[in-house]
Amino acid sequence: MEDRRIQERPPDAPPVDRKVAVALSGITKRFGDFVAVDDLNLDIYEGEFFSLLGPSGCGKTTTLRMIAGFEEPGEGEISVAGQPVQGVPPYRRPVNTVFQSYAIFPHLNVFDNVAFGLRRAGVKGEELRQRVTRACKMVQLQGFEKRKPRMLSGGQQQRVALARALVNRPKVLLLDEPLGALDLKLRKEMQLELKNLQHEVGITFIYVTHDQEEALTMSDRIAVMNEGVVQQVADPATLYERPRNRFVANFIGQTNLFSGTVESVNGEKVTLVVPDGAKVEAVAQDGAEPEPGSEVHVAVRPEKVRFGAAGDNVCTAEVRQIVYLGVSTQYITWLPDGRKLALYQQNIQDAGGYDVGDEVTVSWDARNCLVLGG
Amino acid sequence: MRGRNSPGFVHKGVSRLPDRALLLMAALIYIFLYAPILVLMVFSFNEARSTQVWEGFSTRWYVALWNDQSVLDAFYNSLIVGGTSTIVATAIGTLTALALTRYRFRGKSFADSTIYAATVMPEIVVGVSLLAFFVAVGFGLGLTTIIIAHVAFNISFVTIVVRARLSGMDESIEEAAQDLGANPVTTFLRVTLPLILPGVMAGALLAFTLSFDDFVITFFVAGVGSSTLPLKIYSMIKFGVSPVINALSTVILVATMILILGGSRFFMGKEDR
Repeated sequence: MEDRRIQERPPDAPPVDRKVAVALSGITKRFGDFVAVDDLNLDIYEGEFFSLLGPSGCGKTTTLRMIAGFEEPGEGEISVAGQPVQGVPPYRRPVNTVFQSYAIFPHLNVFDNVAFGLRRAGVKGEELRQRVTRACKMVQLQGFEKRKPRMLSGGQQQRVALARALVNRPKVLLLDEPLGALDLKLRKEMQLELKNLQHEVGITFIYVTHDQEEALTMSDRIAVMNEGVVQQVADPATLYERPRNRFVANFIGQTNLFSGTVESVNGEKVTLVVPDGAKVEAVAQDGAEPEPGSEVHVAVRPEKVRFGAAGDNVCTAEVRQIVYLGVSTQYITWLPDGRKLALYQQNIQDAGGYDVGDEVTVSWDARNCLVLGG
Repeated sequence: MRGRNSPGFVHKGVSRLPDRALLLMAALIYIFLYAPILVLMVFSFNEARSTQVWEGFSTRWYVALWNDQSVLDAFYNSLIVGGTSTIVATAIGTLTALALTRYRFRGKSFADSTIYAATVMPEIVVGVSLLAFFVAVGFGLGLTTIIIAHVAFNISFVTIVVRARLSGMDESIEEAAQDLGANPVTTFLRVTLPLILPGVMAGALLAFTLSFDDFVITFFVAGVGSSTLPLKIYSMIKFGVSPVINALSTVILVATMILILGGSRFFMGKEDR
């Protein structure tokens, strides 16, 4: 996986003394029999770029809508900037939203769209004009103030939606898959731009997306959600390197998963036996101690597997498929018992040189092979 | 907005036989639709009393129309009924459409289907039942009963037209307004209403047109001295088709055309700006 994450600060856990911008405690939301969000607990810090990541229907958008005030949680409490917001209507909450569909007011020009929130707050005259102009400039829309929304491209409408929300200087900006409708190239540009913008204004961003790469690129921390439950909250590197369970390991990037029985545990080191009898050396999660004899899953990232016998786990395999990816090449190999093992090899001068059908030796280190919980 | 860029058919001259046949068909349909109206308009300028023989151009029937106080009274009544029932029905119908699209409530599907049913209800049934109702509650027949009756059938039409507009509207636009600090009233006045205004105006226009030329229902609920224009024309026609009626019909036709064309221009303009 290409690492395009911008390092704003070391990927350590956020300092403890940081103020909580949004606190969600024990949030449950049901729609009829369907549990959209199940006992959600999250603290999102001030100035943080926080992503809610998960497949559609995982409850991420519902969570965002509860923070915005469009839905009320069935149970639990939400606080924004230390104030409980239970029963507070959306128009009195110190948050603003960038909608998936942008939701630009089609009957108003760019200026009036951006000025909408300020006017509601009683800002007028020169201050209004200046703040709107500055907001337009910030998203590179200066000179577009008199345009009607339908005369703007998707990317420009996106910027209007951003300016319209940010101009109000909200405590928290909520973004609901704002880049979903843009084409790939523009999306990549906007990802970086959004990240820079967030750094510039210092406002807490809560970003909902189903695109794991997008979340990894922009976020300080990510909450991976599935079926209404938070699977893991961590910074991108930890999520990628130390996924807590199978869902996270599968959802973030590509991974090779094995199941096996724990044979012995020695501190962090875990030895397990896979169904064909071979032994696999792995490491346990921080603080976790797998029971010998229990069934567990282990994961190893394809780029951590290499050709050759220089690793803790060595096996022979047959190359079945080769996919050229530009910067690297993906090899799908089959182990003797029919399990698939994917590996990436960097395309450094003349590397590789394997063909489909070749018998190869592959290996990986125990420290890159993680025992998963759940 | 949507579909404005849909590609139209490009014709390179009408040359092939099927195309000519199509053109002929279209011409025939136009004649079928508009020839009677054209004849009526032409004969309203006929010098003679006859409505069959042309004897030269004259505007005497228009003068006669202008001097007929009973016709003017009926016209005035129609304006009062049309205007009042349109305003009331548009207000109620718009709010009904909003309720039906935006909220979930008990009896919604019932309300929904009854609204539609009201538009296909035979007018004669509506007329008779309204008459029975007014008599039963002891309400004296007159302009007021006509207005009430027109409001009753117009609400459905306005609701349907406004609803079509509302259902094409992204709901998150209203959420965005609330998100930006607009309370429900401001959201309605600043965002919802401007966006559905073309639908509301179209509904109002439809309501006025329906009210202005309604005969059957009005016939049942009208009292003495509260004749509207259609009732007046009907009573005049009992004594033979007079060119005055042709003239009157022409005036109504032209007025309606101006209203509709002006209205559609207004809506088109709204969309294009």
